[in-house]
Amino acid sequence: MITVKNLYHSYSKDDQYAVKDVSFEIKEGEIFGFLGPSGAGKSTTQGILTGLLQLQKGEVNVAGYDVKHIKNVMFNKIGMSFEQSNVYSKMTGRENLAFYRKLFDVETRDPEELLKLVGLSDKGDIKAGDYSKGMKHRLTFARSMINHPTLWFLDEPTTGLDPAIASEIKGIIKEENKKGVTVFLTTHNMYIADELCDRVGFIVDGRLVLIDSPKNLKLQYGEKFIEVEYVAGDEIIKESLSFVNQEDIGRLKIILDTYPIQTMHTKEATLEEIFIKVTGRGLV
Amino acid sequence: MKLWYSFLKELQLSSKSWYFYIEVGMAFVLLLILLIAVPEKSDPRIDEYLYAGDLPQDYVEVIYRSILDEEDEAITPQQVEVQVGDGVYEADLFVTDTRNLYFIQDREALRILAEEDREIAVEILLGSEGDMIYRYYLQGYESQRLKNLYMILHNNLVSPSFIQRHMETQTVKTLEESPVTLNNRENVLPVFLTYNGSLMGLFIIAAYIFLDKQEGIILAYAVTASKVWHYLLSKIGVLMVTMLGTSLILVVPMMGFGVNYLNLFLLVTVSAFAFSSLGLVLTSYYRDMMQSFGVFYILIVFLMIPNISYFTPSWEPQWIHFLPTYHLLEGFKEIILGGDDIRYLLSVSGGYLLCGLVLFWFANHRFKKTLTMG
Ligand SMILES: Nc1ncnc2c1ncn2[C@@H]1O[C@H](COP(=O)(O)OP(=O)(O)OP(=O)(O)O)[C@@H](O)[C@H]1O
Ligand SMILES: [Mg+2]
Repeated sequence: MITVKNLYHSYSKDDQYAVKDVSFEIKEGEIFGFLGPSGAGKSTTQGILTGLLQLQKGEVNVAGYDVKHIKNVMFNKIGMSFEQSNVYSKMTGRENLAFYRKLFDVETRDPEELLKLVGLSDKGDIKAGDYSKGMKHRLTFARSMINHPTLWFLDEPTTGLDPAIASEIKGIIKEENKKGVTVFLTTHNMYIADELCDRVGFIVDGRLVLIDSPKNLKLQYGEKFIEVEYVAGDEIIKESLSFVNQEDIGRLKIILDTYPIQTMHTKEATLEEIFIKVTGRGLV
Repeated sequence: MKLWYSFLKELQLSSKSWYFYIEVGMAFVLLLILLIAVPEKSDPRIDEYLYAGDLPQDYVEVIYRSILDEEDEAITPQQVEVQVGDGVYEADLFVTDTRNLYFIQDREALRILAEEDREIAVEILLGSEGDMIYRYYLQGYESQRLKNLYMILHNNLVSPSFIQRHMETQTVKTLEESPVTLNNRENVLPVFLTYNGSLMGLFIIAAYIFLDKQEGIILAYAVTASKVWHYLLSKIGVLMVTMLGTSLILVVPMMGFGVNYLNLFLLVTVSAFAFSSLGLVLTSYYRDMMQSFGVFYILIVFLMIPNISYFTPSWEPQWIHFLPTYHLLEGFKEIILGGDDIRYLLSVSGGYLLCGLVLFWFANHRFKKTLTMG
């Protein structure tokens, strides 16, 4: 569905690359998670894939179209939900969707159905400008589904939403994916990525460091963590230590010898911990 | 079809926006100014004020008679009252073909007229040798030539008969027989039409675009099966409709059926197209109104320059012809005059259309490249 080869992008058109030598492939029906800290180049990559940014260097093929020569018909197959919600604030939620559907050549979804899906049915007649941030975000998200996309780009679809709604959004994504929709998901929320994605790619400083399925990553890094809680003076301290890392093993020995232990268990590493292990960087 | 929906949506949106009402409101304000503040018929006669109150009565009679002699028709002086400052003064008024001559009865009034109202004022006094002395109150901007002329006239350096002979040998050629002239209101109308269309068009499309940039709307538009130029053109379409509407608000009450509306439509539409395309190109370089303000300001100053030559016909340097608003002004004037210089109108419209197309093409190119900016 998506092939990217040796993609570079520089906003200043020099060698200050926001994206450097990125290559990956996304198969049809897959949910691919693009993970990385803020400023890593996630949105930039997604921008190039959707033609919002001009392709400078590299080869990009999206849904059978060469992105170098973007054709508008390509967007009949594509849905895009933006990181920053962008809807007409002077139009109501319903009007926003009703207008947007007219911009496609393919069959589109009923605005009512979409509003209901994201829990905005009773807010359909309110101007989007009067929506809360989360509501705008949901409207932007709903809008991206209007043309029954087979390839769906989601830039931070759950950021800024309360957990209940975020979980609903997660459900919708799963549901659509079951119908065969390929999803390109950009996020720094590792739990969402873990739960939804068939494969994830870690991007740091514009470089794609690793691509694998969360399951493989956990097999590789997972069972080797031990989480220990111990009492040191008045404090209870919690540490995660690796089985394989010599330094960590030494540290564990010292803790066992020195402090009273409260709890201790092996733990599946979270994607976040794996990310930190692999890239040496946190997620924010 | 998508273009049509976009256009309808833009129209609907703009009707909800401030700028639309500013535009329409401005048109009504201009109309009111035209109807109320600008007098329809201007008196082409120049007012001149004279004071001869210190002269003996027989001198005055001589002066009066000489005025009557100069004119072909017999004129009788009217007794009028002139308001000067806070007072009202009596005056004898001679209305000639070219002048209103007031012989005012009060010397102080004459001084006030010269000093405060900046009128032409002349005092005629009796010299010690029984001759007449003319005291001109000059305003300071009179040329040396005029002053010389006064000197020559009143000091009898050249005899009146010499001047007379000289004038008779001059050939006067009339370039244009019975030119159509506009009354004051009609004369201002082309200016309003030009600047209502061009400058407001420029500003308002910029305002619309910056608003959309702020909301990120263009990005959402770019990932649909619709083309960016649809988006841009529907914006321009809205501007065209607004311009036509506001132009009609001005022209219909003023001119009734006296103009060729087809020509008016043509010129308004193509100029709105060209100027809003220019606005689009400019907005593609900036994030918001604040950033772009300098450029817009400079542009507006340049576009306003033809105004000066419009009201000061003697000042019309060659380079002014390169300013687009110059031809727009002339074009609208031609239409308001009810003129039939179709070739000029068509070439102006053609020029605007061509420039508009080039600018639009370029704007489209720019927008595609700078989608994520702002
Ligand atoms: N319009 C722009 N002009 C110049 N530089 C930009 C622009 N947009 C992004 N960048 C730079 O490119 C780099 C990558 O930004 P990008 O938006 O792709 O990050 P991201 O991974 O999406 O981050 P976030 O998680 O915060 O959304 C950053 O260093 C950023 O400063
Ligand atoms: Mg981003």
